[in-house]
Amino acid sequence: MTSVDYNAQRNLVDTIVAQATPPGVGAVAVVRLSGTGALRIAAKLAGRGRSSPGGWRDRRAQLTTLLCPRSGEALDRSVVTLFRGPGSYTGEDVVEISTHGGYAIPRSVVEACVALGARRAEAGEFTARAYLNGKFDLTQAEAVADLVSARSAKGRAVALHQIERGLGERIAALREEVVGLGALLVHHIDFPGEDDAPTPIAEIAARAGEVADQVERLLATAPVGEALREGALTVLAGRPNTGKSSLFNALIGTERAIVTEEPGTTRDALEALVEIDGLPFRLVDTAGLRSGGAGRVERIGIEVARRYLAGADVVLYCREAGRSATEDEESFLAEVGAPVVRLCTKADLGGGRGACDDGGIAVSTVSGEGLSALRERLRELVFGGLVESCNEVPVVTRARQARHLATAHAEVGALGGALRAGVPPEVASAHLKTAESALEEILGVVSNEDVLDRVFGDFCIGK
Amino acid sequence: MRLKYGVVVVGGGHAGTEAAAASARLGVDTVLVTPDLSRIGQMSCNPAIGGVAKGTVAREVGAMGGVMAQATDASRIHFRMLNRSKGPAVWGPRAQCDRARYPIAVRRILDRLEHLDLFQEMATGLRVEPGSLAVETRSGVVFEADAVVLTAGTFLRGRIHMGTGAAEEGGRAGEPPSVGLAEALEGHGVEVARFKTGTPPRVDGRSVDFDRCERQEGDEEPFRFCYYSREPLLEQAPCWITWSGRGLREIVTRNLGRSALYGGEISGRGPRYCPSIEDKVVRFPKARRHQVFLEPEGLDTTELYVNGLSTSLPPEVQVEFLRSVPGLEGVTMTRPGYAVEYDYFPPRQLRHTLELRSLPGLYFAGQINGTTGYEEAAAQGLLAGANAALGVQGRPPLVVERDQGYIGVLIDDLVTKGVDEPYRLFTSRAEFRLLLRQDNGPSRLGTVASSVGLLTAEQEVALEERLAEEARADAWFRGSVLSPGVANAALADGNAGRVERPIRARELLRRPGVSAAGIVRAAGADGGTGVGAPHFDGDVLGTVEIDAKYEGYVRRELERAAALRTQADFAIPEDAPYDDFVTIATEGREKLARIRPTNLAQAGRVPGVSPADLQNLVMEVRKMRSANERRRRAGGEVGGGVSRETSG
Repeated sequence: MTSVDYNAQRNLVDTIVAQATPPGVGAVAVVRLSGTGALRIAAKLAGRGRSSPGGWRDRRAQLTTLLCPRSGEALDRSVVTLFRGPGSYTGEDVVEISTHGGYAIPRSVVEACVALGARRAEAGEFTARAYLNGKFDLTQAEAVADLVSARSAKGRAVALHQIERGLGERIAALREEVVGLGALLVHHIDFPGEDDAPTPIAEIAARAGEVADQVERLLATAPVGEALREGALTVLAGRPNTGKSSLFNALIGTERAIVTEEPGTTRDALEALVEIDGLPFRLVDTAGLRSGGAGRVERIGIEVARRYLAGADVVLYCREAGRSATEDEESFLAEVGAPVVRLCTKADLGGGRGACDDGGIAVSTVSGEGLSALRERLRELVFGGLVESCNEVPVVTRARQARHLATAHAEVGALGGALRAGVPPEVASAHLKTAESALEEILGVVSNEDVLDRVFGDFCIGK
Repeated sequence: MRLKYGVVVVGGGHAGTEAAAASARLGVDTVLVTPDLSRIGQMSCNPAIGGVAKGTVAREVGAMGGVMAQATDASRIHFRMLNRSKGPAVWGPRAQCDRARYPIAVRRILDRLEHLDLFQEMATGLRVEPGSLAVETRSGVVFEADAVVLTAGTFLRGRIHMGTGAAEEGGRAGEPPSVGLAEALEGHGVEVARFKTGTPPRVDGRSVDFDRCERQEGDEEPFRFCYYSREPLLEQAPCWITWSGRGLREIVTRNLGRSALYGGEISGRGPRYCPSIEDKVVRFPKARRHQVFLEPEGLDTTELYVNGLSTSLPPEVQVEFLRSVPGLEGVTMTRPGYAVEYDYFPPRQLRHTLELRSLPGLYFAGQINGTTGYEEAAAQGLLAGANAALGVQGRPPLVVERDQGYIGVLIDDLVTKGVDEPYRLFTSRAEFRLLLRQDNGPSRLGTVASSVGLLTAEQEVALEERLAEEARADAWFRGSVLSPGVANAALADGNAGRVERPIRARELLRRPGVSAAGIVRAAGADGGTGVGAPHFDGDVLGTVEIDAKYEGYVRRELERAAALRTQADFAIPEDAPYDDFVTIATEGREKLARIRPTNLAQAGRVPGVSPADLQNLVMEVRKMRSANERRRRAGGEVGGGVSRETSG
């Protein structure tokens, strides 16, 4: 109905500023201003007095000398671009200043802006403003955060797709389906004896089943989505001295793309992020524990492994080639919920391929044998076929989204079941309200009138 | 002449009569002012009360002591329970009434009330000054009042359309509009908008070939809308169904340009659920045929109301299209249909008491709030009248919650969401459909009305009896163990698996296809059961049945209702500084600032307010409260010192 009143918003908030590029040495750095005073501050910075930068055109890069507001000295010769609200990222007036890179210049430009009345932005504040100004739904705002911290090429691609409203559109479409089911039931309840007879209940029940399946398919992407966001937790397990650490180093070493030790995640295991075929894996090695008395350490090692195993997406179980698994090992593995890749390590040392006969992969960090087969298997196990198409198919990347989707799935499924069991439509439709609000929670939006709109739009009703 | 009353009600339609009666029942001296006392309680559109959701509201009005349910019972000539094939939660009682007898019944009820005067005169002016309200009439009589309830229906600057170029001023066919009142209110800054609605033609039944129509009898079982009184049953009359077909479509299409609606004469928006035949033909060109109901206007007349063919085409086209309908080939039209355009006041300007936020003491009810329907009007009238009286008495307001009644859903929707087409109730507007049933009005709302003194002494007695019967029925079903013989007799028509052992009545009732009435019948038929042959009112059995059959669903609704109540406990000040609540999205903030919800639950229903907005709203209100608290304390300690904190 009424559109967002942009002017009302502008008078309410202050102007924020931050360096948009990471600090450090580089050719160019970007400083961003957003808010009521953005244009005014930029104009002053350019020495154009109190007036707004009248001569500057919207969305046009403008080479400008920036002056220190106190001393009047030149700070930098920068490229300034205006984005007038509401057609900007945040929905407010935005100015982007591309300065020369490095530490000193962008910092001095930010300080100059602060001196002219801007406030340093909090983390995520630009995106928060975009959300508050209705530029984004929640899934898009989340995707921006994902994009900024993407851990792999694929993760970036997915996040970018979500920002383009991939997931949001999918959820909105599912919500439409749920509303449509509600409309069919409302036709039964509120409009008996009309020109258009209502859809038979059995048909509505069948349609509910289809909608539940659609929700389920989207929900099924949740493990992949989380793995894409966080990196698939890949735990190296096995007795001491079975070559876990060598394998760990081999997987890191050959894939030099992103290798980050994650301090703080754990003190008793080694963790590294590795990108395989553009997909993120969090590789965990428990090898770091191997010191002190033998029996005890092994126990602790298993303890640690157990803790990781609970959350593992995949377990790499290492055993020396030619040695068969003990009962202990088998019962340990039987408890693991995640898929297990059995590896016969040190394949170059005599044991040979023949010894890895229980579906495992023979690997050697010395000869490199089996490593590409292992990568292939990891990719397949965790990301499966979904990853191929996930530029087009939206992916659930947050536990929050998955939780609400699970609710929606359960409720729509329950609706079908209830209708088939003869529960009357007005009673069974209780499930839909819950499903609908679950989907709305994901988007962060609500709407009230859609069911009746649908009935009146689709059916000839009323005397 | 100057007269002084506690409450002055302007208008004598369904809203006005309920408002006046409610105010009088609360013991406040009340006068109802209307241009024509013989038209009090007039049914200006179709001669019927009720339907799905609407029937429930009519009964709710009755449960709260209102006029409508009793007047309907006294004038009904045909009754059907709509949706009987579905669960009792959405049964919709609907009665055809005798158009002449309904107003007589209303008048009889009003005339028996103490504290109520009637006065015939058109109100032309409204004086609203702080602490002094007055209604002025055409002949110069001035009614001074502590509170005024305005229920002017479609009369505010009403314009009647029959074809193009033939518009005339009027609120109903043959009755002048009211212009002064609308202008007076506009002068006080009250927002005004325009709606339209329409009626179909009426015909002489003697010219109808009934052999070509389908006869529709009413239900055999007698039914009453009013929980508290029993009116004698009049002679019953049938309705008739026929279908408009291709001929009518062709005539309407050919004449669309002559329709006031499609000829561009009418600007106001009409209701989608009550479309004119022009609308139906244009919007659903593929529909093969449209239902036409011929409804009796009364026992003393042969006139029929042609439900389904509402129109603003010129009279000669109406006759032409009527004669294309099977059974109406030789029909004589007695009154042409017409469309009416009228002013309404967008109801977001109102509080839940239906008092205007900007002009305290002035209450709006009925069609002027953008609703349609007698039942919707009556419900608002009752609440507006009651609140006006309570306000005069200095007592706390009466608000029906959304989980208590359709009345609550209606009023909350009006003040929270506003209207963009004439508002009508549907069960789908209620989130607690299983709780808001046509059978359980007394326990939901009778008790509420009783607690504020809105019931007469007779109504109080009847309510008490009814609640006792509910308790008795519940105890009977919980306590009675039925022999397999009785149980299987109850099952027979339910077609479920046979019972081998004695079974508790309530257990048996949980089986699909078994009805409470069936169990009572079976128990009554078998003399030797030892559980007695009880007799319970049909309503009471419905209540027992739903509670047993859908216990899980009912519990879920109760839990949801309780959760909502918790949200409703979080109060938001009416003067909350929304401009400062910058963590709330712009759109949500604007909508909240316009509606000014009184609590969190209502805020959540404001369109355009998201769940995230609500979370931020809670935070902002808390922040504001603690800042106020600190400021207050700082002021107390330091003695008017400057507040030290600026953020929370």
